[in-house]
Amino acid sequence: MKSYKVLMKEILKPYSAILFLNNRVAGVLVLAITFLNPSVALSGLIAVLTTVLFAKLIEIKDHYLEYGFYIYNSLLVGMGIGYIFEVSFKSIVLIAVASAFAFMFSFMLNRLFSLYKIPILSLPFSIVTMFVYLASLKYSTLYTTLVNHATMYDISLPLILSAYFKSVGTIFFLPNNLAGLLLLLVVLYFSRIIFLMSTVGFYFGVLSHSFFIGSFEQALYDPYAFNYILVAIALCGIFLLPTLKNFIISLIAIVMSVLLTDAIGTLFHYYAIPVFTLPFNLTVITVIFILSITYYKEFNYNIKSTPEASLSHYLNTIFRFGAIHAKVALPFSGEWSVYQAFDGEWTHKGKYAYAYDFVKRKKGKSYQGEGVHLDEYYCFGESVLSPIDGYVVDVRHDLEDNYIGSIDRVNNWGNYIILRSPSGYFIEISHLMQHSLNVNIGDYVKVNTPLAKCGNSGYSPEPHIHIQVQDVGVLGGFTREFCFTEYYQENVLVSNAVPKHDENVSSVIIDKSIQSKLLFILDEKYTYDIFIDEKYIDSYTFSVKMNTLGEFYFEDYEHNKLYFNSTPTQFYFYHYSGVESHLKRMFILSPRIPFVRKDFVTYEDYLPLNLMKGSFQVLMLELASIVQKNLARLEQQYTLTSETIRSENGKVTLESNKKGFKTIAYKNVVLRRVA
Amino acid sequence: MTHTYEKPTINKIDFAMASKYGSPLKTQKIRQHIDGVNLDTLTEQFGSPLFVFSQQTIEEKYHALNTAFTSRYPDVQFSWSYKTNYLNAICKIYHDLGSIAEVVSEFEYQKARALGVEGKDIIFNGPYKPKEDLKIAVQEGAKIHVDNLFELGDLEEIADELGIRIPVAIRINMDTGVYPQWSRFGFNFENGEAFDAIERMYDKGKVYLVGIHSHIGTFMLDANAYRVATMKIMQLKTQVESAFNAQIDYIDLGGGFASKSNLKGVYQSAEVIVPTVDDYAEAITGAIYEFNTSDTLPKLYLETGRHLIDEAGYLLTSVQGWKRFPDGKKGYVLDAGVNLLYTSTWYNFNIELDKRYEGENEPSMLNGPLCMNIDIIEENLMLPALDRGSILSISPVGAYNYTQAMQFIRYKPAVVLIDTKGKPRLIKEVDDLATINYKEV
Repeated sequence: MKSYKVLMKEILKPYSAILFLNNRVAGVLVLAITFLNPSVALSGLIAVLTTVLFAKLIEIKDHYLEYGFYIYNSLLVGMGIGYIFEVSFKSIVLIAVASAFAFMFSFMLNRLFSLYKIPILSLPFSIVTMFVYLASLKYSTLYTTLVNHATMYDISLPLILSAYFKSVGTIFFLPNNLAGLLLLLVVLYFSRIIFLMSTVGFYFGVLSHSFFIGSFEQALYDPYAFNYILVAIALCGIFLLPTLKNFIISLIAIVMSVLLTDAIGTLFHYYAIPVFTLPFNLTVITVIFILSITYYKEFNYNIKSTPEASLSHYLNTIFRFGAIHAKVALPFSGEWSVYQAFDGEWTHKGKYAYAYDFVKRKKGKSYQGEGVHLDEYYCFGESVLSPIDGYVVDVRHDLEDNYIGSIDRVNNWGNYIILRSPSGYFIEISHLMQHSLNVNIGDYVKVNTPLAKCGNSGYSPEPHIHIQVQDVGVLGGFTREFCFTEYYQENVLVSNAVPKHDENVSSVIIDKSIQSKLLFILDEKYTYDIFIDEKYIDSYTFSVKMNTLGEFYFEDYEHNKLYFNSTPTQFYFYHYSGVESHLKRMFILSPRIPFVRKDFVTYEDYLPLNLMKGSFQVLMLELASIVQKNLARLEQQYTLTSETIRSENGKVTLESNKKGFKTIAYKNVVLRRVA
Repeated sequence: MTHTYEKPTINKIDFAMASKYGSPLKTQKIRQHIDGVNLDTLTEQFGSPLFVFSQQTIEEKYHALNTAFTSRYPDVQFSWSYKTNYLNAICKIYHDLGSIAEVVSEFEYQKARALGVEGKDIIFNGPYKPKEDLKIAVQEGAKIHVDNLFELGDLEEIADELGIRIPVAIRINMDTGVYPQWSRFGFNFENGEAFDAIERMYDKGKVYLVGIHSHIGTFMLDANAYRVATMKIMQLKTQVESAFNAQIDYIDLGGGFASKSNLKGVYQSAEVIVPTVDDYAEAITGAIYEFNTSDTLPKLYLETGRHLIDEAGYLLTSVQGWKRFPDGKKGYVLDAGVNLLYTSTWYNFNIELDKRYEGENEPSMLNGPLCMNIDIIEENLMLPALDRGSILSISPVGAYNYTQAMQFIRYKPAVVLIDTKGKPRLIKEVDDLATINYKEV
């Protein structure tokens, strides 16, 4: 029974994957639509089945098949054969061999392409089918069963629509108005963005084609116009996020694909082989290659089931956690001022632009008295605290602290410490006090650990802390952009940001007791009594689970899942799947719990669209956020007082001396912990 | 003839002065005011010599230390060490900031009570607590920290007399890797004395343990010693909790955090050698988290004195005359002597001039008015030529100097507190003949 289910999944997945969808229902619908041409449909099915059988034969693990793209190339090959040859014993043999070939070829290409993080798309199909068509020119016996390309049923439509619908159908070897219309309806139901890009792609491609060839009608008749559709969807929705900038990139790429289609068409014409999806593949792979290698910001690094889901995931991640990869804590305690920020006026320039200098100031001055002695400077001798959890990779501490008015021009960096973050970057902190190191090379330090004291060694006119993030662990490495995880400005807890020149910031010191209250361990159960209007209603239990990706979540008896994670400085929820539930409310009430203890602190967070809005609103906002990203920015204000998090939606209180949440209250509902 | 051993010392030479650009301007330390109040105004209004305390500095230091601990640990309570400075106005500031009281004698206990501190907010420490006073403290619910077996015996008798079981804490001493080891207060941890005393408490069943206290020393320059102390306290806590099914509510790490004073015979400046509040806080709270075996975290008491008050105190003194000694050194006669500066034995004070003086610096000695050869405040200091009436401010002197100041041949000086608005207020008048004759019969 289980293997049958897996088999169904493996068979249906490629059908929806060709439309860039990931949905079993979509798979069933697409499979049904292919039966408009039974030969295509059967050949496709045979290809998928033989591929799966072949995969079992060579004992490929199931999770390879789950990716789908190994099989959809076989499916396309199969449908391609079914399109020209009626199903027969010979054609089945051909399909079996060709689809096994396509499968292995896909596997090989994927291994090579994945080195550069680029997809194989339907390139294996284009190449394998090319070979099959070339070879079959010699197999005259097959042509006795050459089929009529026409499908069983069709409707007639004006050319301008019909050309589009047929193009969509052609993706599945079904150049048929009805097939195109049905496929588009499936697409529209699952993703408006794909639908939109398909339409834009087709007509923009045809328009630009007609611009070159001088005839709109002739452009409409081009059998390979579906390439434009695929390019448009892939570059504005699937591999790149559906944003305005990517829309423009995809328009450029569509014109590229027009050129390629004509060029390849001219070449292939001599050998009587169709162009298939080769223009699409070449265009998209070329564009993605450069954007992937250069870390293009609006690249879709986390492809979700639809472009809508990808976009809202991306936006929510950016809003909540910032776009900058390297995040560090402030390297001190208490309130300090920014002496020099990024692109500072003195030394933070060029390759060294991404650095921060901090001093302590009282009433605008960094020293008391006349500021002629080091000990008159407020920050001289203050602790330098570790900004990350990481390893000490290099230190120096023998240089003398310059007296005021002198500077060490030889050893610019002065006494320093270099830390390595497990996330792959390095942090350099400079101008430390002579002989003040508390740590040694090789030590593992945690956020807030005192590392050394603030001093005045190196190129330092007055005692200060210099901090920068580098790609390499050597002194003087070029800097890269970073931001600070958290800091206070007055009573506001600011996250993933950088303060401006001369601004005052206070550091966040971690209270490990809060951290330990939110250390949830697999299979722990949390049970609550539910009160509505202070009347006992029912009991509610959720437990701690983990999925195969190592993601932890709370799950209740209705299988609603609330995913959470912890960093050294905070606990947060990041994904919810399920229906309306108390778990969903917990996400809204406390999306993030910083490990801080303060009498009163406020902070903002941004909630995912689907948590806050009805499904129609979500649909509209998802579309609108393509143009205006801030529409997906659902800002929510939170205040934290001792161990209670409040917002306009309600409040959550942590247990005072054990793990977990004590009460969860929203509207007229209160959940009180019983076990 | 044998020579007596003398500890070698290295004294720092001021390079700024010795450089070819060396300007004597840079080596004069100037202080014209404290918290915006001119020194002239202070001495004119309140006399000289004069102790001055800055409420602003008191509050800043308190908040810095308090934040370092409370941001790392959920349950921290500071307890003002009365012996460090028990001027009523000073104690009141700490109580207003949220500190309870830590006293080491019945006199201090009475002082705290007179200031309106409730018994439950007093930690009663010290090696000698007279039985009748101990009984009052027990009745008033004070936190008694037992120092020795005789005191434990007294408490057990008091328990019988009152017909109650008394909650107590135990003072322990231990090896934290810092020498000399403070082993004369409380019960030793390593040799099992502390555990034996606790065992006796539970055997007799008249008192029960709620807290463990240690005070590893004073002016501790190694924050790691606190980590070791905390670790040992937490180990004893675990041991006691499992052996007697008890619950230890709190641990008390005492005091000893250094202030930014320059120890005599130490080459580096205080900024360099004194650990920061983060060092102390991380050492203690880190060890609690690491060695806690109970479901709940213990409340943490701290009895910090010197670190909080020392830098807030100044002694203003005026030059009354000068002379040239036979060895060529210049000697100044000041109106404040070492009887007011108890800590001058251990620390080199920061001595600041009231204005910039012309002329070269020369080696000078500062002497008090005591008519005693030992009355030397600074033996060798580079000073420009000062005038009669020049005011010197000596700091940091906030800790111990006032409480240990001795009345000797002159009257004990007045004390002024400059409040957070920068307004000076007399908090203790200068003594007079009546004060000194008051109890003579």
